[in-house]
Amino acid sequence: MSYIKIDQNKCKSCYLCIDACPYKLIKKSNNTGTTGELTVEFSDTENKCIGCAQCAIVCPDIAIVEVNRE
Amino acid sequence: MQVYSIPNSIKKDSKFTFCKGCDHGVAIKIIAEIIDELNLRENTVAISSSGCSVLLYDFLDIDCLEAPHGRACAVATGVKRAHRAKGEEKFVFTYQGDGDFASIGLGESMHSALRGENITAICINNTNYGMTGGQMGPTSIMGQLTTTSPLGRNKEYHGFPIKTAEQIALCEGTKFSARVALYDVKNILKAKKTIKKAFECQLKNKGFSFVEILSSCPTNWKLSAQDSHKKIAEELTKIYPLDIFKDTIDD
Ligand SMILES: Cc1ncc(C[n+]2csc(CCOP(=O)(O)OP(=O)(O)O)c2C)c(N)n1
Ligand code: SF4
Ligand code: SF4
Ligand code: SF4
Ligand SMILES: [Mg+2]
Repeated sequence: MSYIKIDQNKCKSCYLCIDACPYKLIKKSNNTGTTGELTVEFSDTENKCIGCAQCAIVCPDIAIVEVNRE
Repeated sequence: MQVYSIPNSIKKDSKFTFCKGCDHGVAIKIIAEIIDELNLRENTVAISSSGCSVLLYDFLDIDCLEAPHGRACAVATGVKRAHRAKGEEKFVFTYQGDGDFASIGLGESMHSALRGENITAICINNTNYGMTGGQMGPTSIMGQLTTTSPLGRNKEYHGFPIKTAEQIALCEGTKFSARVALYDVKNILKAKKTIKKAFECQLKNKGFSFVEILSSCPTNWKLSAQDSHKKIAEELTKIYPLDIFKDTIDD
Protein backbone atom coordinates (compact mmCIF):
# COMPACT_ATOMS: atom_id res chain seq x y z
CA MET A 1 0.00 0.00 0.00
CA SER A 2 1.55 3.32 -1.09
CA TYR A 3 1.02 6.39 1.08
CA ILE A 4 2.23 9.93 1.80
CA LYS A 5 2.76 11.91 5.01
CA ILE A 6 1.77 15.57 5.31
CA ASP A 7 3.19 17.88 8.00
CA GLN A 8 0.24 20.00 9.13
CA ASN A 9 2.55 22.65 10.60
CA LYS A 10 4.20 23.27 7.25
CA CYS A 11 1.17 23.23 4.97
CA LYS A 12 0.23 26.73 3.79
CA SER A 13 -3.00 25.67 2.07
CA CYS A 14 -1.97 26.55 -1.49
CA TYR A 15 -3.73 23.38 -2.73
CA LEU A 16 -1.24 22.78 -5.56
CA CYS A 17 -0.99 19.14 -4.40
CA ILE A 18 -4.75 18.65 -4.77
CA ASP A 19 -4.46 19.46 -8.49
CA ALA A 20 -1.28 17.43 -8.94
CA CYS A 21 -2.55 14.07 -7.64
CA PRO A 22 -3.78 11.99 -10.60
CA TYR A 23 -6.19 10.08 -8.31
CA LYS A 24 -7.52 13.05 -6.31
CA LEU A 25 -6.37 11.50 -3.01
CA ILE A 26 -5.64 14.80 -1.29
CA LYS A 27 -8.45 16.94 0.05
CA LYS A 28 -9.02 19.83 2.44
CA SER A 29 -8.91 18.78 6.10
CA ASN A 30 -10.83 20.23 9.06
CA ASN A 31 -7.62 21.67 10.48
CA THR A 32 -6.89 25.41 10.25
CA GLY A 33 -3.24 25.92 9.33
CA THR A 34 -0.75 28.76 9.71
CA THR A 35 -2.34 30.85 6.95
CA GLY A 36 -5.76 30.69 8.61
CA GLU A 37 -7.10 28.37 5.93
CA LEU A 38 -7.80 24.65 5.93
CA THR A 39 -4.75 22.45 5.46
CA VAL A 40 -4.90 19.30 3.36
CA GLU A 41 -5.04 15.60 4.25
CA PHE A 42 -4.40 12.33 2.46
CA SER A 43 -7.48 10.20 2.09
CA ASP A 44 -7.13 6.89 0.26
CA THR A 45 -9.85 4.47 1.34
CA GLU A 46 -9.51 2.37 -1.82
CA ASN A 47 -5.69 2.11 -1.81
CA LYS A 48 -5.32 3.96 -5.07
CA CYS A 49 -2.09 5.81 -4.27
CA ILE A 50 0.74 4.71 -6.56
CA GLY A 51 3.51 6.58 -4.74
CA CYS A 52 4.28 8.70 -7.79
CA ALA A 53 5.35 11.66 -5.60
CA GLN A 54 3.79 14.24 -7.92
CA CYS A 55 2.11 15.82 -4.89
CA ALA A 56 5.45 16.18 -3.09
CA ILE A 57 7.25 17.50 -6.18
CA VAL A 58 4.83 20.42 -6.57
CA CYS A 59 4.57 21.30 -2.85
CA PRO A 60 6.44 24.62 -2.41
CA ASP A 61 6.59 24.23 1.37
CA ILE A 62 8.14 20.79 1.81
CA ALA A 63 4.93 19.93 3.69
CA ILE A 64 4.63 16.54 2.01
CA VAL A 65 7.49 15.02 3.91
CA GLU A 66 7.33 11.40 2.81
CA VAL A 67 6.12 9.31 -0.11
CA ASN A 68 6.20 5.56 0.33
CA ARG A 69 5.68 3.18 -2.56
CA GLU A 70 4.79 -0.45 -2.21
CA MET B 1 10.02 1.76 0.13
CA GLN B 2 10.42 5.48 0.70
CA VAL B 3 10.64 7.13 -2.72
CA TYR B 4 10.54 10.74 -1.59
CA SER B 5 11.81 12.52 1.49
CA ILE B 6 13.06 16.01 2.29
CA PRO B 7 16.55 16.48 0.81
CA ASN B 8 19.44 16.12 3.30
CA SER B 9 20.80 19.51 2.26
CA ILE B 10 17.71 21.21 3.70
CA LYS B 11 18.19 22.10 7.36
CA LYS B 12 16.31 19.84 9.75
CA ASP B 13 12.87 21.14 10.75
CA SER B 14 12.99 23.91 8.13
CA LYS B 15 9.75 25.71 7.57
CA PHE B 16 9.92 27.90 4.48
CA THR B 17 8.96 31.52 5.06
CA PHE B 18 8.06 32.39 1.48
CA CYS B 19 4.48 33.40 0.77
CA LYS B 20 1.89 30.71 0.16
CA GLY B 21 2.37 29.01 -3.23
CA CYS B 22 5.63 30.84 -4.07
CA ASP B 23 7.92 28.98 -6.49
CA HIS B 24 11.05 30.02 -4.55
CA GLY B 25 10.27 27.00 -2.32
CA VAL B 26 10.27 24.58 -5.25
CA ALA B 27 13.48 26.09 -6.65
CA ILE B 28 15.32 25.71 -3.35
CA LYS B 29 14.05 22.16 -2.92
CA ILE B 30 15.34 21.00 -6.32
CA ILE B 31 18.67 22.75 -5.79
CA ALA B 32 19.00 20.87 -2.47
CA GLU B 33 18.20 17.59 -4.24
CA ILE B 34 20.91 18.24 -6.82
CA ILE B 35 23.45 19.11 -4.11
CA ASP B 36 22.62 15.76 -2.47
CA GLU B 37 22.80 13.82 -5.73
CA LEU B 38 26.16 15.32 -6.74
CA ASN B 39 27.44 14.98 -3.16
CA LEU B 40 28.40 18.67 -3.06
CA ARG B 41 27.17 19.59 0.39
CA GLU B 42 30.53 19.75 2.16
CA ASN B 43 32.31 21.60 -0.63
CA THR B 44 29.82 24.27 -1.67
CA VAL B 45 29.57 27.99 -1.01
CA ALA B 46 26.24 29.50 -2.04
CA ILE B 47 25.96 33.25 -2.54
CA SER B 48 22.54 34.67 -1.78
CA SER B 49 21.41 38.12 -2.79
CA SER B 50 19.00 40.87 -1.77
CA GLY B 51 15.39 39.96 -2.37
CA CYS B 52 13.24 37.01 -1.34
CA SER B 53 16.10 34.84 -2.61
CA VAL B 54 18.19 35.88 0.40
CA LEU B 55 16.27 33.37 2.53
CA LEU B 56 18.23 30.56 0.88
CA TYR B 57 20.73 30.54 3.76
CA ASP B 58 17.96 29.98 6.29
CA PHE B 59 17.05 26.68 4.66
CA LEU B 60 20.09 25.16 2.98
CA ASP B 61 22.46 23.24 5.22
CA ILE B 62 25.57 24.43 3.38
CA ASP B 63 27.99 27.36 3.65
CA CYS B 64 26.33 30.55 2.43
CA LEU B 65 27.42 34.14 2.08
CA GLU B 66 25.09 37.08 1.56
CA ALA B 67 26.14 39.55 -1.13
CA PRO B 68 25.09 43.20 -1.29
CA HIS B 69 22.27 43.84 -3.76
CA GLY B 70 23.37 42.86 -7.27
CA ARG B 71 26.88 41.79 -6.31
CA ALA B 72 26.41 38.03 -6.01
CA CYS B 73 28.43 37.12 -9.12
CA ALA B 74 31.25 39.43 -7.97
CA VAL B 75 31.27 37.84 -4.51
CA ALA B 76 31.13 34.38 -6.08
CA THR B 77 34.12 35.29 -8.24
CA GLY B 78 36.10 36.28 -5.14
CA VAL B 79 35.14 33.15 -3.22
CA LYS B 80 36.00 30.90 -6.15
CA ARG B 81 39.34 32.58 -6.91
CA ALA B 82 40.49 33.01 -3.30
CA HIS B 83 39.95 29.32 -2.59
CA ARG B 84 41.67 28.36 -5.82
CA ALA B 85 44.67 30.49 -4.84
CA LYS B 86 44.94 28.31 -1.72
CA GLY B 87 44.70 25.18 -3.87
CA GLU B 88 41.09 24.47 -2.86
CA GLU B 89 38.40 23.93 -5.46
CA LYS B 90 35.01 25.05 -4.07
CA PHE B 91 31.70 24.63 -5.84
CA VAL B 92 30.21 28.16 -5.93
CA PHE B 93 26.76 29.16 -7.08
CA THR B 94 24.61 32.28 -6.75
CA TYR B 95 20.86 32.44 -6.13
CA GLN B 96 19.51 35.80 -7.26
CA GLY B 97 16.28 37.54 -8.19
CA ASP B 98 15.70 39.10 -11.59
CA GLY B 99 16.08 42.59 -10.15
CA ASP B 100 19.28 41.58 -8.42
CA PHE B 101 20.85 39.74 -11.38
CA ALA B 102 19.62 41.77 -14.34
CA SER B 103 19.07 45.30 -13.04
CA ILE B 104 21.24 46.58 -10.20
CA GLY B 105 23.68 43.70 -10.72
CA LEU B 106 23.72 43.52 -14.51
CA GLY B 107 27.31 44.76 -14.74
CA GLU B 108 28.63 42.17 -12.28
CA SER B 109 26.52 39.42 -13.83
CA MET B 110 27.43 40.07 -17.43
CA HIS B 111 31.12 40.60 -16.79
CA SER B 112 31.29 37.33 -14.88
CA ALA B 113 29.82 35.68 -17.97
CA LEU B 114 32.22 37.55 -20.28
CA ARG B 115 35.18 36.48 -18.16
CA GLY B 116 33.96 32.90 -18.33
CA GLU B 117 34.14 32.79 -14.55
CA ASN B 118 33.79 29.17 -13.49
CA ILE B 119 30.69 29.72 -11.32
CA THR B 120 26.98 28.96 -11.70
CA ALA B 121 24.31 31.65 -11.45
CA ILE B 122 20.64 30.88 -10.83
CA CYS B 123 18.21 33.75 -11.46
CA ILE B 124 14.63 33.62 -10.20
CA ASN B 125 12.61 35.66 -12.69
CA ASN B 126 9.30 36.61 -11.10
CA THR B 127 8.96 39.76 -13.25
CA ASN B 128 9.10 42.18 -10.32
CA TYR B 129 10.89 43.26 -7.14
CA GLY B 130 9.07 40.81 -4.92
CA MET B 131 10.52 41.45 -1.49
CA THR B 132 10.06 45.22 -1.54
CA GLY B 133 6.41 45.09 -2.58
CA GLY B 134 6.16 44.42 -6.30
CA GLN B 135 7.91 47.30 -8.07
CA MET B 136 8.62 47.13 -11.80
CA GLY B 137 11.75 45.13 -12.55
CA PRO B 138 13.93 44.80 -15.63
CA THR B 139 11.88 41.74 -16.58
CA SER B 140 8.37 43.17 -16.05
CA ILE B 141 6.50 42.54 -19.29
CA MET B 142 4.85 45.16 -21.50
CA GLY B 143 1.63 46.33 -19.94
CA GLN B 144 2.42 44.76 -16.55
CA LEU B 145 0.85 46.59 -13.63
CA THR B 146 3.25 47.09 -10.74
CA THR B 147 3.41 49.59 -7.89
CA THR B 148 5.81 51.72 -9.96
CA SER B 149 4.02 51.19 -13.29
CA PRO B 150 0.41 51.64 -12.15
CA LEU B 151 -0.72 52.21 -15.75
CA GLY B 152 1.30 49.28 -17.04
CA ARG B 153 4.83 49.09 -18.42
CA ASN B 154 5.01 50.98 -21.71
CA LYS B 155 7.80 51.28 -24.22
CA GLU B 156 7.78 55.08 -24.48
CA TYR B 157 8.44 55.63 -20.78
CA HIS B 158 10.01 52.38 -19.50
CA GLY B 159 11.50 50.66 -22.54
CA PHE B 160 11.60 46.93 -23.07
CA PRO B 161 12.16 43.99 -20.68
CA ILE B 162 15.43 42.05 -20.74
CA LYS B 163 15.58 38.46 -21.97
CA THR B 164 18.30 37.49 -19.56
CA ALA B 165 19.08 33.91 -20.61
CA GLU B 166 19.36 34.95 -24.28
CA GLN B 167 21.63 37.89 -23.40
CA ILE B 168 23.89 35.82 -21.16
CA ALA B 169 24.15 33.19 -23.92
CA LEU B 170 25.71 35.87 -26.17
CA CYS B 171 28.69 36.29 -23.84
CA GLU B 172 31.70 34.40 -25.10
CA GLY B 173 32.66 33.09 -21.67
CA THR B 174 29.23 31.54 -21.15
CA LYS B 175 29.23 27.79 -21.60
CA PHE B 176 25.63 27.09 -20.65
CA SER B 177 22.54 29.30 -20.55
CA ALA B 178 18.93 28.15 -20.25
CA ARG B 179 15.47 29.17 -19.13
CA VAL B 180 13.15 26.81 -17.24
CA ALA B 181 9.83 27.04 -15.37
CA LEU B 182 8.23 25.34 -12.38
CA TYR B 183 4.51 25.45 -13.15
CA ASP B 184 3.92 21.68 -13.26
CA VAL B 185 5.61 18.35 -12.47
CA LYS B 186 7.03 17.94 -15.97
CA ASN B 187 8.65 21.36 -15.91
CA ILE B 188 9.96 20.95 -12.36
CA LEU B 189 11.71 17.72 -13.38
CA LYS B 190 13.09 19.40 -16.49
CA ALA B 191 14.28 22.38 -14.45
CA LYS B 192 16.10 20.02 -12.12
CA LYS B 193 17.84 18.28 -15.00
CA THR B 194 18.85 21.64 -16.49
CA ILE B 195 20.23 23.06 -13.23
CA LYS B 196 22.14 19.83 -12.72
CA LYS B 197 23.71 20.30 -16.13
CA ALA B 198 24.71 23.87 -15.24
CA PHE B 199 26.28 22.61 -12.00
CA GLU B 200 28.17 19.91 -13.92
CA CYS B 201 29.52 22.59 -16.27
CA GLN B 202 31.29 24.14 -13.30
CA LEU B 203 32.39 20.77 -11.95
CA LYS B 204 34.01 20.08 -15.33
CA ASN B 205 35.77 23.46 -15.02
CA LYS B 206 34.31 24.75 -18.27
CA GLY B 207 33.24 28.32 -17.46
CA PHE B 208 30.15 30.37 -16.69
CA SER B 209 26.82 28.55 -16.43
CA PHE B 210 23.44 30.21 -16.03
CA VAL B 211 19.83 29.16 -15.47
CA GLU B 212 16.91 31.59 -15.41
CA ILE B 213 13.85 30.18 -13.64
CA LEU B 214 10.44 31.62 -14.52
CA SER B 215 8.89 31.78 -11.09
CA SER B 216 5.63 32.83 -9.48
CA CYS B 217 5.07 35.73 -7.09
CA PRO B 218 1.43 35.12 -6.09
CA THR B 219 1.46 37.92 -3.49
CA ASN B 220 2.51 40.78 -5.75
CA TRP B 221 0.79 39.40 -8.82
CA LYS B 222 -2.35 39.23 -6.65
CA LEU B 223 -3.15 35.80 -8.02
CA SER B 224 -3.64 32.37 -6.45
CA ALA B 225 -0.83 29.82 -6.74
CA GLN B 226 -2.85 28.06 -9.46
CA ASP B 227 -3.55 31.21 -11.49
CA SER B 228 0.08 32.28 -11.15
CA HIS B 229 1.15 29.00 -12.73
CA LYS B 230 -1.44 29.46 -15.45
CA LYS B 231 -0.04 32.94 -16.15
CA ILE B 232 3.47 31.52 -16.47
CA ALA B 233 2.35 28.65 -18.72
CA GLU B 234 0.09 30.69 -20.98
CA GLU B 235 1.54 34.20 -20.96
CA LEU B 236 5.12 34.43 -19.70
CA THR B 237 6.52 31.48 -21.65
CA LYS B 238 5.40 33.21 -24.87
CA ILE B 239 7.57 36.21 -24.02
CA TYR B 240 10.27 34.24 -22.24
CA PRO B 241 10.54 30.94 -24.14
CA LEU B 242 11.79 27.88 -22.28
CA ASP B 243 14.93 26.68 -23.99
CA ILE B 244 18.64 26.02 -23.76
CA PHE B 245 20.16 29.03 -25.52
CA LYS B 246 23.74 27.86 -25.30
CA ASP B 247 25.39 24.59 -24.43
CA THR B 248 29.04 24.37 -25.39
CA ILE B 249 30.07 22.37 -22.31
CA ASP B 250 31.48 19.52 -24.35
CA ASP B 251 33.01 21.60 -27.17
C1 LIG C 1 21.65 48.79 -2.63
C2 LIG C 1 20.25 48.39 -2.32
N1 LIG C 1 19.23 49.02 -2.95
C3 LIG C 1 17.96 48.66 -2.69
C4 LIG C 1 17.69 47.65 -1.82
C5 LIG C 1 16.25 47.26 -1.54
N2 LIG C 1 15.88 46.00 -2.14
C6 LIG C 1 15.86 44.87 -1.42
S1 LIG C 1 15.32 43.54 -2.30
C7 LIG C 1 15.08 44.51 -3.68
C8 LIG C 1 14.52 43.96 -4.96
C9 LIG C 1 14.66 42.50 -5.13
O1 LIG C 1 14.06 42.08 -6.32
P1 LIG C 1 14.52 40.77 -7.03
O2 LIG C 1 15.99 40.75 -7.16
O3 LIG C 1 13.75 40.62 -8.29
O4 LIG C 1 14.15 39.59 -5.98
P2 LIG C 1 12.71 39.01 -5.52
O5 LIG C 1 12.42 39.58 -4.18
O6 LIG C 1 11.71 39.40 -6.56
O7 LIG C 1 12.90 37.51 -5.48
C10 LIG C 1 15.42 45.84 -3.43
C11 LIG C 1 15.30 46.92 -4.43
C12 LIG C 1 18.78 46.99 -1.19
N3 LIG C 1 18.60 45.96 -0.33
N4 LIG C 1 20.04 47.38 -1.46
S1 SF4 D 1 2.00 9.89 -4.40
FE1 SF4 D 1 0.90 10.21 -6.35
S2 SF4 D 1 -0.98 9.02 -6.13
FE2 SF4 D 1 -0.11 9.20 -4.07
S3 SF4 D 1 -1.13 11.02 -3.18
FE3 SF4 D 1 0.77 11.74 -4.15
S4 SF4 D 1 0.20 12.34 -6.21
FE4 SF4 D 1 -1.48 11.08 -5.41
S1 SF4 E 1 1.10 21.74 -1.89
FE1 SF4 E 1 2.00 21.61 0.17
S2 SF4 E 1 1.57 23.59 1.14
FE2 SF4 E 1 0.23 23.42 -0.66
S3 SF4 E 1 -1.68 22.54 0.15
FE3 SF4 E 1 -0.44 20.81 -0.53
S4 SF4 E 1 0.70 20.16 1.29
FE4 SF4 E 1 -0.11 22.20 1.71
S1 SF4 F 1 6.91 38.37 -2.29
FE1 SF4 F 1 6.65 37.10 -4.12
S2 SF4 F 1 8.67 36.17 -4.47
FE2 SF4 F 1 8.66 36.98 -2.37
S3 SF4 F 1 8.07 35.21 -1.09
FE3 SF4 F 1 6.20 36.39 -1.57
S4 SF4 F 1 5.37 35.42 -3.41
FE4 SF4 F 1 7.50 34.75 -3.21
MG1 LIG G 1 12.12 39.39 -8.64
